[in-house]
Amino acid sequence: MDIPTVVFYVGPFGITSIVVTTWGIMITLGICCWLGTRRLALVPGKLQTMLEGLVLAIEDNINAVIPDHTQQVLPFIATLWVYIVIANLTGLIPQLHSPTGSFSVTAGLALLVFLSVHWFGIRSGGARNYLRHYLSPTPLLLPFHLISEVTRTIALAVRLFGNIMSLELVALLVLLVAGLLVPVPLLMLHVIEALVQAYIFGMLALIYVAGAMQSQQESKKGNDI
Amino acid sequence: MNFDWTTFVLEIINFLILVWILKRFLYQPVLGVIARRRADIDKSLSDALQIRNEANELKARNEQYLIEWEAKKEAAQAQLNAELTSMRESKLAELETRINEEAERRRVLTERNRHEFERLMEERGIAQGATFTNKLLMRLASPELENRLYIVLMEDLQGLRQQDKHVIAVAAEEPGLQIKIQSAFSLDTSKRGELTRSLNQMTGKTLPVVFNTNPELISGFQIDIGAWILHANLRDELKSFGGVLRHAG
Repeated sequence: MDIPTVVFYVGPFGITSIVVTTWGIMITLGICCWLGTRRLALVPGKLQTMLEGLVLAIEDNINAVIPDHTQQVLPFIATLWVYIVIANLTGLIPQLHSPTGSFSVTAGLALLVFLSVHWFGIRSGGARNYLRHYLSPTPLLLPFHLISEVTRTIALAVRLFGNIMSLELVALLVLLVAGLLVPVPLLMLHVIEALVQAYIFGMLALIYVAGAMQSQQESKKGNDI
Repeated sequence: MNFDWTTFVLEIINFLILVWILKRFLYQPVLGVIARRRADIDKSLSDALQIRNEANELKARNEQYLIEWEAKKEAAQAQLNAELTSMRESKLAELETRINEEAERRRVLTERNRHEFERLMEERGIAQGATFTNKLLMRLASPELENRLYIVLMEDLQGLRQQDKHVIAVAAEEPGLQIKIQSAFSLDTSKRGELTRSLNQMTGKTLPVVFNTNPELISGFQIDIGAWILHANLRDELKSFGGVLRHAG
């Protein structure tokens, strides 16, 4: 896999093609969403139906895991799904690379998930109650809790990065070895893999956030009893 | 596995910006319109439910009205039937009364017509009888019959009751009165004298007597003493006879 090239510099900071691609994705999504939602009607058209279907599908998934805080976590989790799907599929466009094929990107996303877990957990019931769950059922498990927090965050980043990077690498190798049309089935596999990996990443993030919020609620119930 | 801190930091910032963009331009509008639609549907359902409840209430009220109306109709029909029966009976009774009255009236009318007819027949018979008698007596009229009637007149004058004599005496009190004696045939002097004497004796006065001949009397006499008139002739007897028969009829 090619190393992301620096497109331009802003002072001492080199802006890589990954960041530029991400900006492109952001602009495209922003324009599409603005165009798609500027004339919403109670009787929807085709585009509005598609957008509503997408948002409702995401909402239903979130609602199935964390029904009490669906609206609270929906923007973050839904954006993870949307962005990672688009980012994964960007690799199918010639001359572009999936941003999620860069460990810097997946690490950033994993860090955001790590921080959001604590953010939503603390917002749900306060920092004191949230931190208390690390000591339950016994303070002896605190190190394991901490190791778990770090390792699952790293696992998130490495899993997504490894899968997407390997897909692009395999596609490149098959294209080099077998010719022009042979990688097409592999590209179909790329599409499926992109969707699956986005779903896994978003669902794991959702489960982590839900775990933080529900452990908080369980701590509250224990205190109430 | 290259790691670039600039990319790492920028990706975090980019993602947070993307969260804001999608929240602003996708999630909020779409969820908002879905919420509005749900509210609209809920409102429509609520309105429909309310309309259905109102419709059910109206239906129940209308059914109640129908039941009440049916009861009123039956009561009114029963009352109407009773009134019609009463009216029919009344009309029948009235009609029967009228029929009876009409029958009675016809019976009375028939009876009266029959009586009238009988009376007419009787009068005609009497008239015919009187005409026949008149014709017969006119043929039988003669001085001999008048002599016979003179004897009867004299007997009647002789046999007058005291009350009748008093009436004649009162009638003779009229000043300037003269006695008129009419006869169908001319009387001789002796009869005139005898009549004059008899009348003077009966009135108790000597009144002038005038004798006239009147063939219409057929036979007999008519004596006028003021308001008192004595009929002793066939004409007046026939008249009297006819009147008696008429009254008897």
